[in-house]
Amino acid sequence: MKRLLGVLLVTLSIFAMMANTQVFAKTELTMFYPVAVGGPLTKIMDKLVSDFEAENPDITVKAIYSGNYFDTMIKAMTALKGGNPPTLAVLLSTELYTLIDKDAIIPFDDLISTPQEKKWLNSFYPALMENSRYVGKTWSIPFQRSTIVMYYNKDAFRKAGLNPDAPPATWDELVDMGKKLVVKDSSGKVIQWGLEIPSSGYPYWMFQALCYQNGEVLMNNKGNKVYFNKPGVVQALQFWKDLSYKYGIMPKGTIEWGTLREDFLKQKTAIMWHSTGNLTAVKKNASFDFGVAMLPAKKQRGTPTGGGNFYIFKKSSPKERKAALKFIKWMTQPVRVAQWSIGTGYMGTRPDAYETDELKNYVKSFPTAAIARDQLKYATAELSVHENDRVYKILDDAIQAALTGAETPEAALQRAQKQADRILKRYQ
Amino acid sequence: MRSWDNGTQKTLETIGAWMLGILWLIPIVFSFWSAFHPAKFTTNFDLFAPLTIENFIRALSCAPFPRYLMNTFILVTLILAAQFVLCTLAAYGFVRFDFFGKDILFALVLLQLMIMPETLLVENYRIIKSLGLLDTITGIGIPYMASAFGIFLLRQSFKTIPKELVEAAQIEGVSSLGILWKVYVPLSKPIYIAYGLVSVSYHWNEFLWPLVITSSVNTRPLTVGLAIFAAPETGVDWSVIMAATVMTTAPLLVAFILFQRQFVQSFMHLGIK
Repeated sequence: MKRLLGVLLVTLSIFAMMANTQVFAKTELTMFYPVAVGGPLTKIMDKLVSDFEAENPDITVKAIYSGNYFDTMIKAMTALKGGNPPTLAVLLSTELYTLIDKDAIIPFDDLISTPQEKKWLNSFYPALMENSRYVGKTWSIPFQRSTIVMYYNKDAFRKAGLNPDAPPATWDELVDMGKKLVVKDSSGKVIQWGLEIPSSGYPYWMFQALCYQNGEVLMNNKGNKVYFNKPGVVQALQFWKDLSYKYGIMPKGTIEWGTLREDFLKQKTAIMWHSTGNLTAVKKNASFDFGVAMLPAKKQRGTPTGGGNFYIFKKSSPKERKAALKFIKWMTQPVRVAQWSIGTGYMGTRPDAYETDELKNYVKSFPTAAIARDQLKYATAELSVHENDRVYKILDDAIQAALTGAETPEAALQRAQKQADRILKRYQ
Repeated sequence: MRSWDNGTQKTLETIGAWMLGILWLIPIVFSFWSAFHPAKFTTNFDLFAPLTIENFIRALSCAPFPRYLMNTFILVTLILAAQFVLCTLAAYGFVRFDFFGKDILFALVLLQLMIMPETLLVENYRIIKSLGLLDTITGIGIPYMASAFGIFLLRQSFKTIPKELVEAAQIEGVSSLGILWKVYVPLSKPIYIAYGLVSVSYHWNEFLWPLVITSSVNTRPLTVGLAIFAAPETGVDWSVIMAATVMTTAPLLVAFILFQRQFVQSFMHLGIK
């Protein structure tokens, strides 16, 4: 009897020790993520994380809200320099070169081994992967991505005698229809503009769309050369300026990013170019019939991509990296991608997400959600080079100088090219 | 030169004061207007627009503001209390005692005034990490507790206190700390109040450092919590952000309105002394 008890005790204590070590063996991941669109996104993220932890009891994920993209980058970089980086983070797809230069991240190719994982790596829209690739490796995974789309006021179209189901498909049509959509009051003051393209906030992003529509890309795929002064690029900036100064369909001067949606909702402009991220808010608050269309073409249709990707940080143990990969793979399953897209207004990042019941039904009830997806075949990578922030500022300043009439587009872009070349020389 | 007569002068001053007051009030009035009306009426100032608390409900559903409010309150109180103690003692030391290296030490204190806190981000992070205080309210506050501004202000204030009062207290046999507590501190009350106002509003509004050092709902202050409404990619939703702003500034406003008389009175007494 005593013997039996003894054996029982020993077995129990062995189990207890195993249970304890099971708890100690829990891998803890920290993830910094930004919230850049409106909505209770931290709650949605917390729910996703707890669902993941329920399915994977050996991993805990600390998802830490860190402000907007800029704030999240500062927080991650400070933590990195302070010797305490997160395991993974959601950062702008364009931070690629900055992170590689700081030796902060590892490529996903080093972590995947099975053919299934390779298939997963290739399951995203190619246009979205353009910002992730460098020297043949993949350094980030698309998570919350957007493109620019054209929102237009169908009621205003009807009032101007235009077909509300035929939005402008080319630059010429844009100018013609824009002219018809301008409404002035009795004193000659414009109360409704034809078009507004924002030139504060992220003007380089809007500019990339115009350039790509004119057949031009602004950088090479090594991140060390920019093409700001090519004739096609200058033409694009001239066209942007002409919209205000020559054709009179857009207000002169700087158009504010933060209030553009309000302008559209107040019907101060009939057409606006803005991020797909606005879709849910416009749908909820528009008191008029509105539509969404692809951006018009000059030589071709075009839009840059935008938004944030998953990055895994280098300063992590092999176990943490494996767990992080597991988490990212889980978060990018078609059904999760669909949930995130419906809840936030960002696009689905992979074709099979649109085959899920959730997104199929959502698109059926709201066909405009499919426009961004369909436009992806005309999408190009977002401007991303070494010393990104400085180059953005150079280009943004040149664009605003041209749009406010302070400099000609040609002169502004030549200057921008010189300044950018000086900065990028050491990376060539 | 003709000089204004008293009546005109007073009227002009009153008009000027009213204009300034209204100018200062306009943003607050706008935020209240926008918070209590639906999004459609943000810029449409229709007096009979329907009132709603939907914005507050939406704001509260996005983030746990009561908790953030408590975090901020604890943070500013903690920092202010520590500053009062540390700066008083330091200023007293500089004023009443002579010791080796006094001038060098004071120069170092002044040096702090010239350095922007943002440049110290990484170093402070490293130190807080080695103290094991990452993601705690104490961790947010520690770099600010020994405030050069506070030491400087209090030193100037202590210097103006006449030596006769100190000598009188010494004759009565009061200790050094007693003199500090009984003579210096009471006579510097207006300075403490002024400094308190500055400190509380600065730390109530601070964003970058708390963002970097905090990672959880239990420590995050209001400014970081509010950032969720900035939504830079899509543009601002004014009514919700105004509701959140009203929730977060209302306590300060109420406190100021309640204690307004005390503030003004203490400054008046400073003159009488």
